[in-house]
Amino acid sequence: MTTNSTMDIPAHVPQDRVVDFDYLRPTGIDEDLHLAWKRAQDSLPDIFWTPRNGGHWVATRAQDIKAIQLDHQRFSHKRLLIQGPEGHEGSVLTMDPPRHGLYRMLISPAFSPKAIAALEPIVRQTAVTLIEELRPRGECEFVGDFAKVLPVEVFLGLVDLPLEDREFLLPFAEKIARPRNPQDYGEGQAGLTQYISQVLTARAQQPGGDLLSKIVTAKIDGEPIAFEAAVALSRTVLAGGLDTVASILGFVARFLALNPGHRRQLIDDPSLVGNAVEELIRRHGIANTARVLTQDTEFKGVRLRAGEQILIPNNLYGLDERQVDDPLVVDFTRAHPDRHSAAFGNGPHRCPGSFLAKSEITVFLQEWLARIPDFDIKPGTTPRMASGHVNATHELHLAWDTDSR
Amino acid sequence: MPKITFIEDGGAEHAVEATVGESVMHAAMDNLVPGISAECGGYANCATCHVYVDQAWADRLPAPEEVEEVMIEAAFDVRPTSRLSCQIQVTEATDGLIVNLPASQTGA
Repeated sequence: MTTNSTMDIPAHVPQDRVVDFDYLRPTGIDEDLHLAWKRAQDSLPDIFWTPRNGGHWVATRAQDIKAIQLDHQRFSHKRLLIQGPEGHEGSVLTMDPPRHGLYRMLISPAFSPKAIAALEPIVRQTAVTLIEELRPRGECEFVGDFAKVLPVEVFLGLVDLPLEDREFLLPFAEKIARPRNPQDYGEGQAGLTQYISQVLTARAQQPGGDLLSKIVTAKIDGEPIAFEAAVALSRTVLAGGLDTVASILGFVARFLALNPGHRRQLIDDPSLVGNAVEELIRRHGIANTARVLTQDTEFKGVRLRAGEQILIPNNLYGLDERQVDDPLVVDFTRAHPDRHSAAFGNGPHRCPGSFLAKSEITVFLQEWLARIPDFDIKPGTTPRMASGHVNATHELHLAWDTDSR
Repeated sequence: MPKITFIEDGGAEHAVEATVGESVMHAAMDNLVPGISAECGGYANCATCHVYVDQAWADRLPAPEEVEEVMIEAAFDVRPTSRLSCQIQVTEATDGLIVNLPASQTGA
């Protein structure tokens, strides 16, 4: 699927805008994923075209990323992922306003600050139980032992699904978020579709008070929601709940392992935690979504053609020095780091789960540092990171002194 | 320019000059009125621009659409005069509008 042949470069793309860039494997992500992306932002044109992954545009600067996110008339959500399929009814991620709003309002209330505040005791209890189990061991593989457990257990509880389904569901979420080949994405979607169809069939017959029951019994424009649309919407909720917080927790834990001063700062002044969460999210953005051109247009002096895709790596927004001073520095006292972040997107598609995500990261910082204040990357191990539709840490071995409490 | 007065939960008043066509939420954000977070940026998706419209104004504004009504219920301390300020458009007719701000948008 990948090619570097200049024969594949469309005639309207200027030669100086052509770059061989593979967003699934930016050079150097094995050492530090975000620095690798930052190098691309620093060294490549603001807007360029790559023949990789089917051929697409990339916009790397905060101002352009935001402008594209807000301009759904020219930059549609209909194909949200590079080489991804066209969206269809009920697939809330690939819908443009105003239709999008009809589906979005089915899920937004479940993730409002009020709903999440009510959920926080469960998040905290889950986190404390996990950390208390890990602490006496003196080491863990953070991604598998914590990052992919806390948010997934909380989420499965929220939609009233059995916790033991976690192991079955995670591989599908992985294929959707970080496909290694063009087949992966379809297989992941098919797996979740089959699972969620069974769940929704049962809940349509016997609805409960949970979000999935609400979706399958909802009305759209006064008509009962189409079953396929309910499946698509639920699948989106599921994919978001299974992968995203798990992904960012890995980056946050790695940062803390490497920066004892920052750990100490949070332990000494817990009032910084709220702002620290925003700053860590700014510095460690995870999403790489795309838009599809609805028409031939000119953007920042570049001619774009209808049907072409443009990648807008949200993770680069918070790393752009034109947007935020000293972007690579993590400063827990930085003023309003959330204003320099597009980690949750801008516009009508902004992540509905942002309050849940922040709640889980907050609880992680508070409860982990209270029990394991000092920890390092385990000697002899190297964290493994992966770029994709959602950037993630795949493996992070941590070690600590069990007497250090 | 239509005038809007925001009254914080503690009683502090902020009178701002708003622009016709923008939302009441944007008028507050542009004038650095505290007490509104507007996390989603104005799409009735997050319920953090929650306000209480002054009783005298409650019936004079266009009624909320379904998308707003659904999200108002997701705000903290909802009252009969609750609105999401991102969904109230500033017009010449809203000159003199008074809105009260809740104690918190996030429950914190």
